Amino acid sequence: MTTTADVRRRGRLHTLANPRKSGTLTFLTGLFTLYCLVPLIWLTINSTKSQADFVSSFGFSFGRRFALFDNIVEVFTYDGGIFTRWLLNTVLYVVVGAVVSTFLAALGGYALAKLEFTGKRVFLFVVLGAISVPGIALAIPQFLLFAQLGLTNTPWAVLIPSFLNPFGLYLMWVFAAEAVPTGLLEAAKIDGAGEFRTFWQIALPMLVPATVTVLLFSFVSIWNNYFLPLIMLKDPDWYPLTVGINQWNKLASTAGNGELLQNLVVTSSLLTIIPLIIAFISLQRFWQSGLSLGAVKG
Amino acid sequence: MSATERMTRPAAASTLLPAGEPQQYRRRRTRQIGWAFVAPFGVLFALVFIVPITYAAYLSLFQDRMVGGPSFVGLDNYTKLFGDAQFWDGVSRVVSFTLIQVPIMLVLALVLALAMDSMRLRGMRFMRVAIFLPYAVPAIVSTLMWGFMLGVRYGLFGSINGWLGTDIDPFRPSTTLISIGIMVTWAFTGYNMLIFDSVLKAVPQELYEAAAIDGAGELRVIRAIKLPALRGSLVITVIFSIIGTFQIFNEPQILPSMVANSGITTYYTPNLYAFNLAFTGSQQGYAAALALVMAAFTIAIAYAVQIRGMRDALDQ
Amino acid sequence: MRLLTKAWTVGVALVTAGALAACSGAGGTTGGAGGGSADEPVKLTVWSWDGTVELAVPGFEKANPGIEVEVVNAGSSSDEYQALDNAIQAGSGVPDLVMFEYFAVPYFAVPGKLADLGPLGAAELADDYVPSAWNNVTIGDGVYALPSDFGPAVMFWNEATFAKAGIDEAPATWDEYYEDAKRIRALGDDYYITQDTNDLFFLLSLIWQAGGRPFEVDGTTVHIDFSAPETQKAVAFWQKMIDEDLVNTKISAWSDDWNRALNDGTLASQNMGGWLTSTLPERAPDAAGDFRVALMPQWEKGERVGAENGGSSFGIPEAAANKEAAYTFLEYFTHGEGLQPRVDAGAFVPNTSVLDSPEFQDVKNPYFGDQKTGEVLAEASNIAAVGWQYPPFFEWARSTYADIATPFYTSGEGSLEEVLQTWEQRSVEYGNEQGFQVD
Repeated sequence: MTTTADVRRRGRLHTLANPRKSGTLTFLTGLFTLYCLVPLIWLTINSTKSQADFVSSFGFSFGRRFALFDNIVEVFTYDGGIFTRWLLNTVLYVVVGAVVSTFLAALGGYALAKLEFTGKRVFLFVVLGAISVPGIALAIPQFLLFAQLGLTNTPWAVLIPSFLNPFGLYLMWVFAAEAVPTGLLEAAKIDGAGEFRTFWQIALPMLVPATVTVLLFSFVSIWNNYFLPLIMLKDPDWYPLTVGINQWNKLASTAGNGELLQNLVVTSSLLTIIPLIIAFISLQRFWQSGLSLGAVKG
Repeated sequence: MSATERMTRPAAASTLLPAGEPQQYRRRRTRQIGWAFVAPFGVLFALVFIVPITYAAYLSLFQDRMVGGPSFVGLDNYTKLFGDAQFWDGVSRVVSFTLIQVPIMLVLALVLALAMDSMRLRGMRFMRVAIFLPYAVPAIVSTLMWGFMLGVRYGLFGSINGWLGTDIDPFRPSTTLISIGIMVTWAFTGYNMLIFDSVLKAVPQELYEAAAIDGAGELRVIRAIKLPALRGSLVITVIFSIIGTFQIFNEPQILPSMVANSGITTYYTPNLYAFNLAFTGSQQGYAAALALVMAAFTIAIAYAVQIRGMRDALDQ
Repeated sequence: MRLLTKAWTVGVALVTAGALAACSGAGGTTGGAGGGSADEPVKLTVWSWDGTVELAVPGFEKANPGIEVEVVNAGSSSDEYQALDNAIQAGSGVPDLVMFEYFAVPYFAVPGKLADLGPLGAAELADDYVPSAWNNVTIGDGVYALPSDFGPAVMFWNEATFAKAGIDEAPATWDEYYEDAKRIRALGDDYYITQDTNDLFFLLSLIWQAGGRPFEVDGTTVHIDFSAPETQKAVAFWQKMIDEDLVNTKISAWSDDWNRALNDGTLASQNMGGWLTSTLPERAPDAAGDFRVALMPQWEKGERVGAENGGSSFGIPEAAANKEAAYTFLEYFTHGEGLQPRVDAGAFVPNTSVLDSPEFQDVKNPYFGDQKTGEVLAEASNIAAVGWQYPPFFEWARSTYADIATPFYTSGEGSLEEVLQTWEQRSVEYGNEQGFQVD
């Protein structure tokens, strides 16, 4: 995926933006990359095995039969095709959650960086203080509150908490402070633009690189959200993928006549991370192209 | 702002709070409009965090009983907690884990981000994706994978022990924490790397051009431009990592169903303890007290980190 | 810097001291009691991680036009119990029927969270189940659940591995089992007769079979005692097995390693609930034809005493909205016409009508070398000893047991007896804290 860019660069002079490549550095980073990839290689290999091969062959060798496509079909048809439902739920949670949370973070981060108002430091410290409380212990009070509002067992119980991304707020703040020149904002205001229009038309375009980062993080964290949906949802029709896959996995390790679905667990896990990989790669391309006003290094 | 101006005050970005612009254009009538910008976040935040925390604080004043219902006990849950050896066992475990794992992970993330930013890597974009990928793997899946990979009988360690003639078991009580460290580092290094990476991307290009004109070498550019630019995000990632490791839960919660006798107790980490108290022990009040005490610890430590970060910045 | 310090303090104060502000959400539960109206169709929600329950729904809905049933997997075991506790506490989303492992019945029934099914008609069903199963769902005079699957302790043994060790029949007594264990151990480093990594339910089934009854429950009074001679006999035997390295203490049941060791025959036997019959073929596909089922070894030659290991039941929460309709369905799938489709799909039930039937006993099971496994399982069910009780806080106790037992299993220091003593102490403390009278 990097070859075309490399080929194009190879012919060029070594410049500030394109210095000579270092073999040692590449090797060392490559080692770390290997550490990151080995478990994923395991996942890929094992998703090609049938259940029988899964329990009887070595983890890094292939099974007697290449069953990837059978597994995929089984994932999508098992239990009346519930996996598709989980997938769509997850997409709903991720798209709505990531977009809203990123927008709220951009709005808040920009205000904290560029607008002067009383109590903004208190605001940050309340946020930091609150997220220091272990989430597990908050699960019961959160559940009771949401139950009282009639939100448990509805998509809102997953969506509302996902609208908050405190770390995204912080990143936006830092980024807005660094990358949005105050002079430009002042100029817009002198031209008669209101605060929101200034934000929308001047600041937001400059915040794009941070927005992509925050969007990506929100995307991933909502995609992987497990504990809260587990507590809040009891109707499998609203489950996200993580809760569903975990349920499949638990069938196998709970004593009783549970079915052993390890091949489905592994294959569905692989299917679950593929959209993330695609999202990341496509966002990354977008991210890398030179962005607004030279504020960002190309 | 110009490159030279930024060069002369490199500490600007190094405090926890991003330094705002000089406020000579500040206008009074817009002073409070900022609240309108943060209000949507704030309202939801109150709903999801502040109200439940308040409720938890209220719950912490009660003792739950299966027979007879809850009874008001004042601060007894707190006094009991401070004498609870299981609680302290968990606390000391996460503290030592944090002291070792967080620096390793963040240094790795920092070095990797600088390597990426140096533009001196071949296959940089591939490696960046690959290093971030583990973050995208759900905890249940990653525990499943690592549980296998580190297995002594049929997993990788089975083979490694076979080749080397060793008898290393990654999931004995003495080694489990190291294995968890390997799993957590695997999952979160890429995440932190990307944060550093995105901050580095916000450094104005003119700074590097100015540095090049001054004849500054690569290490000097890192020391004079990149590290100062990263300091703010470093402080905040330290704080967030501390919060994260103090709340470590998924791995110790899932592992016992995969490997036996790993030494993971119901009070292995304070968060796991809170979970078990609240969910299997019917001791919500006690669990709430534990959570709030842990939050106070975390805040105190995060605060200490922040002061250090700022003092370093002032020393510049 | 000063300002920051101040602001931080204020922030922290806001978060932590907010406690005094509102205590609104503290209201009690508001369980919607009473049955559904006769005119409207009643909608039942069933929480089950047993996939066979779903199979009884079409027939039931046809026979009962006024009732719709939705079966939901709300998590397995602890996850589900926690969810039920939460729902009861919140006063909303309480299901009409819930699956419980037998040990979890007292946890909900004793504090009054489960409805007594006796008045709804369950009292008459006592003789239709094997005695031990019925014993599991009754507390005092109340019936708090109906059994839905059963775990008579039996031994699954790998004939091929035993044969390799020169043994041609299943051990009939624990003494023979011990001798066999030594011969299997001698086959090689990886060979063990079985594994145990603080498997509480196995140890309890051993005690159960030996005649020990460590828990005695009467209302909110609980008596715990691991010192009875019957209990000691079982514990001492297992201690000997572990001390002499005849039991693999590294592979835990239900793990990937376990599946693999069963599959390659290095774990020669399992003393488990009868339900393993249906899942063993998936876990050990390569061992097809090798495994056999036998009664659990006996303490005295010629005896026929069994025990239980696992199994579950369904009950109706006191806060459920449609108790009568719920009972109608409960009776249907655990006792009435809905039973057969579940049995056909592999459910192992303690209903005498099924266990004693020729269709169940005469079927040859190809995975078990065409053995008539039903015969053995039916006998094991009938001889399972009665009188066993679980304390209402067993859910807590079983999670604590692992904490206490792990050091023994990993380091070999201490003994099972000490583990049980510590467990007893901790349980007594906890039980009293929770408002029970425990000694």
